Amino acid sequence: MGSPQSGGGAPLFDEARGTINPAIYADPEIYELELDRIFARSWLVVAHESHIPNPGDFLASYMAEDPVIVVRQKDGGVKVHLNQCRHRGMKLCRTDAGRARGFICSYHGWAYSLDGDLVNVPLEELSFRNIDKAQWGLRTARVDTYKGLIFATWNEAAPALGEYLGDITHYLDGILDRSPGGTEAIGGIVKWVIPCNWKFAAEQFCSDMYHGIFSHSSPQMVVAAMTDAPAQDPTELTSRQFRARRGGHGTGFFVSPTQWPYRIGHSGEWVPGFNPDASLARSVAHIGERRAQMSYQHITLFPNFSIYAGVDTARIWHPRGPGEIEVWAFGLVDKTATPEEREQARLATLRTFSPAGTWEQDDGENWVEIQRVLRGRVARQTPLNAQMGQGAGPADDPDFPGALSTAYAEEAARGFYAHWQRMLTDADGFVASREAYRNAAE
Amino acid sequence: MLQSKGPIDVLQISRRQPRDVQQDIEQFLFYEAALLNDRLFDEWYELLADDLHYYAPLRTTRASREQGLEFSGPGDLAYFDDTKASIALRVKRLKTSSAWAEEPPSRTRRFLTNIRIEHGDDPGEFHVSSAFLLYRNRAERQTDIFAGERLDGLRRCAGAGGYQIFARTVLMDQSTLSANNISFFF
Repeated sequence: MGSPQSGGGAPLFDEARGTINPAIYADPEIYELELDRIFARSWLVVAHESHIPNPGDFLASYMAEDPVIVVRQKDGGVKVHLNQCRHRGMKLCRTDAGRARGFICSYHGWAYSLDGDLVNVPLEELSFRNIDKAQWGLRTARVDTYKGLIFATWNEAAPALGEYLGDITHYLDGILDRSPGGTEAIGGIVKWVIPCNWKFAAEQFCSDMYHGIFSHSSPQMVVAAMTDAPAQDPTELTSRQFRARRGGHGTGFFVSPTQWPYRIGHSGEWVPGFNPDASLARSVAHIGERRAQMSYQHITLFPNFSIYAGVDTARIWHPRGPGEIEVWAFGLVDKTATPEEREQARLATLRTFSPAGTWEQDDGENWVEIQRVLRGRVARQTPLNAQMGQGAGPADDPDFPGALSTAYAEEAARGFYAHWQRMLTDADGFVASREAYRNAAE
Repeated sequence: MLQSKGPIDVLQISRRQPRDVQQDIEQFLFYEAALLNDRLFDEWYELLADDLHYYAPLRTTRASREQGLEFSGPGDLAYFDDTKASIALRVKRLKTSSAWAEEPPSRTRRFLTNIRIEHGDDPGEFHVSSAFLLYRNRAERQTDIFAGERLDGLRRCAGAGGYQIFARTVLMDQSTLSANNISFFF
């Protein structure tokens, strides 16, 4: 497959018409191209710094389908190694996390240091007389961090992480840096499998406030009844959606000081001693009133990392073939949070956005059923509508720079798919290069 | 007696209970499982004690020397970490007719076996360990099987079931959950 045509000859994504060719969610050839041209060329989130606080702490993670070891170095830095012994390719680290002085392969005993050097080969003097161990260290990715998130890429030509993230950082900072000291991960990573294409999840968190009204009506009805909260029409709140100037990132949110009441309501209980007003005031002092009021914010950093800040759940959507993902979800909490705030945040995130969460259960249902329908040949050739918000014109807001619309739009989704298509059809890798990022907007 | 397994208290392996206690508690657990299989959530909710802690920690694959870190701890994320109040929210949600993960409803079957019982600290309280197999089938062909150990705290009481559940800890025999969601109660 060398051209962006598939599934009956329609373009994969047609921005002007606002149509998606559903083959992009099901075609195995497109998936293989995604691994090459999107995942191997992008900066991918692999862990949070607080998952590996001490030298030798490691987390076995993934960059798309490639297993990697994310390991804290003796000098405090982080390295990300391909989790593959250089001898016969055995998985080097076979646990999920832990603390190590190095990594020894269970097959023939080749041993590597924390920084990935091959340091011992059994029977080296007898049988590996010509080996140059310096040439046989682990394959190591480029690594950078942004406010606690650890990113890695295999792409030597990729721009610096800051350039890659570009103008979405103003909105990302509203989550990661809304109080002094920033955020850290709550302990534990929830992992589960959803038989659906990765783009359903990534695009929804990029752009889709719309589905919340209907998909997630059940917890909202119950909480409204339990708390005697007045019914609020979400379309009457000020809302914003942002499409990154380039890079396929996107976010959307309401501007409303109601995020903590939402977390408390959907936790099913108010943790004794927790003062939501104080938490909000801390954010207002740190990032200003309107950014502190960003509520129910969804955000995707292209291609496969998302946060829903309504309850501060962060997740990596690891692709597992065209029709399956592993979701790896962890919670974020302000480092300056009181113990009561931390507990309220923990309960809110695990009771709403995890496999048993009162919101997330229904997302799993939607994506699974779409993917099943796409087994159909005709279904894979029937265009899908992504026109929401077309022609509405931009919204201007002094506190929220960049390309804005209301949250009930698919402008950010169109940005996601437009960038996805540019990368997918780019054989030589220019779109993902630092030269391309220094050019004008896409 | 309970003994700690990392952050989790499990039953010590010891003598067996007299037949009448064993049978009484087993019958209660089978009654409870039947209520959940048949989606009689209000009747099930009546079996929960006001001080309920309903908990299912995460589990990770760890080296033998780090087995104490296998389960997530009290301040960490979990599949469930619920009280009676938050279970009430979950039950009400299931009855809205727009809880799409259970609308239309799944078919579930709970198998409980290997039931071991120890007396608790207070008279009338029991710690019960069981092995569970939970089968879920939904829509056309979706089938999921969940296996693990359940640790229940039961308190004898007057009323329909004869016991109330004041603690439930579900230890999943999986690290990466091989299902798209958990839309039911263990």
